[in-house]
Amino acid sequence: MTAAAIWVLLTIIGELFFLQMDIFGEPVTKQAHFIDEAFILLMVLAIPIFTFVITMILYVVFKFRAKGDDLEDAAPVRTHKKWVGFWLAWTTILCLVVIVHPGYTGIIELRETNEEEPDLTVNVTGRRWQWLYEYEGRDVSLYSKDDMLVLPNDSLIRFIITAEDQDVVHSFWIPAFRMKIDAVPGLTTYFDVNTTHTGHFNDDVNFRVQCAELCGLDHSLMFTRIEVVEPAEFEQWIADEAA
Amino acid sequence: MTAFMPLVRGIIYAAIGYAIGAGIALSIATTTGEPSTEPMIVLGFVFAVIGWLMGVGMWTTWGRGWFGKSTTMDITGGWERYLRFNVDHKVIGIQYITSLVVVFLLAGLLAMGMRYELMDAGQNVFTKTTYNTTMSLHGIMMVAVAVAAVMGGFSNYVLPLIIGAEDVAFPRINALSFWVVPPVVVLLLLSPLFGGFDTGWTAYPPLATQTPIGGLLFELAFLTFGISSILGGMNFIATIITQRAPGMTWGRLPIFAWSVLAASVISLTATQWVAYGLLMIIFERIFNMVFFSPPGGNALLYEHVFWFYSHPAVYIMILPAFGAELEIISHFARKPLFAYRWVVRAFALIVFLSFIVWAHHLFTSGMGESLHGPFMILTELISIPTGIVFLSALGTLWRSKLRLKVPLLFALGVVFNFSIGGLTGIFLADVATDIALQDTYFVVAHFHYTIMGGEIFAIFAAGYYWFPKITGRMYNETLGRIHFGLMFLFYNITFLAMFAPGTVGMNRRVAEYPPEFEFMNLITSLAAFALGLSFLPWIYNMLNSWISGPKAADNPWGAKTLEWQTTSPPPLENFDEFPVVTGDAYGYGDESVVHAKFPNSTNAVPAEGD
Amino acid sequence: MTHEHAPRVNHRFDSLTINRLGLWLFLVSDASFFIALLSSRFFVSGTHTPEYVDQVLGLGLTILLLISSLSAYRAEALFEHGNIEGAKRMLLATIGMGIVFVFGVAFEWHEAFKHFPPSTGFGTILFTLTGVHVTHVVTGVLTLGFVYFRIRNTTSIGDNQFAVEGAVKWWHFVDVAWVFIYPTLYLLK
Ligand code: HEA
Ligand code: HEA
Ligand code: CUA
Ligand SMILES: [Cu+2]
Repeated sequence: MTAAAIWVLLTIIGELFFLQMDIFGEPVTKQAHFIDEAFILLMVLAIPIFTFVITMILYVVFKFRAKGDDLEDAAPVRTHKKWVGFWLAWTTILCLVVIVHPGYTGIIELRETNEEEPDLTVNVTGRRWQWLYEYEGRDVSLYSKDDMLVLPNDSLIRFIITAEDQDVVHSFWIPAFRMKIDAVPGLTTYFDVNTTHTGHFNDDVNFRVQCAELCGLDHSLMFTRIEVVEPAEFEQWIADEAA
Repeated sequence: MTAFMPLVRGIIYAAIGYAIGAGIALSIATTTGEPSTEPMIVLGFVFAVIGWLMGVGMWTTWGRGWFGKSTTMDITGGWERYLRFNVDHKVIGIQYITSLVVVFLLAGLLAMGMRYELMDAGQNVFTKTTYNTTMSLHGIMMVAVAVAAVMGGFSNYVLPLIIGAEDVAFPRINALSFWVVPPVVVLLLLSPLFGGFDTGWTAYPPLATQTPIGGLLFELAFLTFGISSILGGMNFIATIITQRAPGMTWGRLPIFAWSVLAASVISLTATQWVAYGLLMIIFERIFNMVFFSPPGGNALLYEHVFWFYSHPAVYIMILPAFGAELEIISHFARKPLFAYRWVVRAFALIVFLSFIVWAHHLFTSGMGESLHGPFMILTELISIPTGIVFLSALGTLWRSKLRLKVPLLFALGVVFNFSIGGLTGIFLADVATDIALQDTYFVVAHFHYTIMGGEIFAIFAAGYYWFPKITGRMYNETLGRIHFGLMFLFYNITFLAMFAPGTVGMNRRVAEYPPEFEFMNLITSLAAFALGLSFLPWIYNMLNSWISGPKAADNPWGAKTLEWQTTSPPPLENFDEFPVVTGDAYGYGDESVVHAKFPNSTNAVPAEGD
Repeated sequence: MTHEHAPRVNHRFDSLTINRLGLWLFLVSDASFFIALLSSRFFVSGTHTPEYVDQVLGLGLTILLLISSLSAYRAEALFEHGNIEGAKRMLLATIGMGIVFVFGVAFEWHEAFKHFPPSTGFGTILFTLTGVHVTHVVTGVLTLGFVYFRIRNTTSIGDNQFAVEGAVKWWHFVDVAWVFIYPTLYLLK
């Protein structure tokens, strides 16, 4: 009974503590939203398991420690059919639950847009230690490390990613969007995001493209700053750049 | 002085071997084209290892026999027996443990260097290259410790004893698998002098094919280490199958032996894959082959091959750790191991599943999207058998009579830490969250929780537990508790704090990072230094107790497994009289279960310790 | 707890059984290596086989190895029946075929170099697969040679049973490995 009470108490504290924490910051794309929700759900499910383990350890240590020089052995319980069955049942059920949701549902959500025509396609090429961008059909390319990658808000953006042939593996990661995929020589990869918020690198460092696969010397500096602006402003920028 | 002769001879023979190998490579190269250094190093190294092995004593104890000549096998003697090719499993166990402790401390110091660098956002003591080399060396040395310390170290010492055998099935192969480890360590330590390698321990090509000579040394080292691990796995399987004492049926086998068997199956079969991956990298380097570089090659091939080994490898690390943990919990809880049969089934299931989950490391690699779902499912299924290990641990503890000695404290630490490590594994197994978390500090925190919090804690538990058996002396309990308290506290602060930068956007393997993440890194670094200092009482305790600790009883814990039913330390052939097993090892509180009888001995029922 | 006459061993297996088990485990492990090797073929060059591949040579080598497996088997059988002379002849025959095989591969490499050097996708696979395999063949020939030397002056089985058996088993393994390599390398469209 006491143990159960401690467990419930710890769980409530744990959940409350976690739910008021701001772990990631604002999700600025639809995909980030899905991912954050998946993370939060997994955490909500994991906390009771963790508090259960803590409770058991604490309880056992205080309640069942041999006092003084008590050399007795404990009662020889070797197994307990019902408990084993119960344990197998709840772990299996929980496992199946997380496989379906947020597991499979998450995969489906992230692929939701695959068939759609994107509003903007950006071709990305990784090269040591810099990213090259081409705005498809817009006649704009960014070649310099200091360029700002400007993206439109409220749009479906598709990044098509590769690395130069003689280069190494990089990973195209935008922390604010929570999305990443490797840029592999000889292979083309892609991901989609639906932007939902504007933002600028200067206000939030996570508005950056960061290389996330070790690629040698300047791996940590292989990043591009990002600005997400309203579509009209974006068209203006494209026009200026193209000129 | 003669004690050092085998080592000196080994070094001389290795030098000669190197000259021969390099010479052959050079002469081949001059006839076919322009000579280059890398083939010379590879071939030179192969011959150097052979020379080294023969020099330290493999020739006299083994090699002569191949040519029908007589061999000499001297396994007696004092400390000098640790310095040569010795086939006694107890000697080999101690050789492994002591050398890996040294490697652990070195790799830990490298980690201290990294944490010093990461205290603030900019670039201070390290250049980017030296940071990357430091990080990679830390990773690979720690992985080597994690793979070999429980298996090569503690299982070597304990396994034959715990199953009532006089040695392993292939004592000479056992010695061989230890003696290739020193060349591995030497290569790794040399690699910074030859340009280092900035690939991380995973060594993804094409980057890995372009590193300086230091990278080649690393690849050779990893490959050689793999061979040691394969031979070790083979030996343990054969030992458990053939060397059990009479009456030691499968149902009576202590759980530690089961866990070693499970891990050995993995190291026997999976290790070949990493050997193959590294061999292909070396071939790319010296023959200009194109496994991984376009056009022609496929960079993802290596990632698949590598993780086909390296995922199962994490279970090579954790399974024997679970075995030791459960063993210790049962003996200190004075209660039979809960749900023993289910744990054995769980181990078998973990082994099986561990082979078919590797691609969870590749969710963001660009591999086919149709693979995401299946690998997510399989990975998450592993939590069910792993959960049974928790069930067994907690079930054993419930209504027990706990004796809170240092080994038990560490074993409880394993339960606590690994629950965090395992549960965070689920976040990484989930495709959606992994896409955000892959290659961030969240992953780094996850695996330090599983490897360090799970396995290294279990190694310390095992170390304290078997210390009296191995050394014949008792460690200092108070110092042990201080060590546990400090290590547990600062370990958790260090690595709990490490989850935070991962979720907010700090990637791993960087020496400089956006200043926004400075505060969390500062906490981690300060706690890490305290964690480093927490090992000092341990080092002092171990050295001091080994030299001048009080004499230990044969069975200070009153444990029922066989290694405690002989003297501390055990005689050359392990038992003065070999036991006959009559029941399982967990008969606490149950007079009817007697683990072993010594038919000729008056002392048939194991004595209760203090 | 001291006793004068401790039994020397505490298990039920003789050394022959233990050695056999060890060899089988090693073969399992090595087979794992070959699986890795074979699967990389599909990764690097799909299921495509260039036309230049010398089909006749491939078939010839395969048949040669299969026959040598037979002679190795005979060697073991004869040895176990105490026919040392016959066993020696069969061993020599096997070694001879092994050496011919090595030359066959050398010839193949010579030809292959012209069409697909190691720096091409298929070349990489061909040289690695045959190279790793031929290394096994060489160790097989060396072990068979060792065994031949060990039994050349004996008249009875003595303590050489495992030496013969092990070497022959190793040779069979090398042949079986080729049986998988051959179609993967030559026969795919
Ligand atoms: C000892 C080592 C060890 C162990 C045991 C584990 C165990 C697990 N690991 Fe971990 N892992 C590593 C070492 C280890 N890992 C390393 C070194 C890396 C990084 C390598 C690198 O990139 O450098 C890594 C990386 C890694 C990744 C890739 C991350 C990435 O790079 O994107 C993933 C993804 O799936 C993962 C998942 C898991 C899972 C699901 C488990 C599971 O086995 C955990 C199962 C346990 C539990 C779940 C807890 C107990 C269970 C219960 C109490 C029952 C109830 C629970 C449920 C039903 C959920 N690990
Ligand atoms: C067994 C496995 C193991 C263990 C035990 C550890 C232990 C530690 N690890 Fe390690 N780590 C890895 C395996 C392990 N690590 C792996 C596989 C990687 C990935 C590499 C890669 O990406 O390729 C990694 C990467 C890694 C990183 C990420 C680097 C990066 O991505 O840039 C960091 C960062 O903080 C880190 C820190 C630490 C710390 C502080 C400890 C501490 O626990 C160490 C504590 C030990 C000591 C300090 C030594 C003993 C103390 C003394 C000798 C006394 C003297 C003390 C002082 C001088 C203070 N590790
Ligand atoms: Cu590019 Cu890291
Ligand atoms: Cu894994």
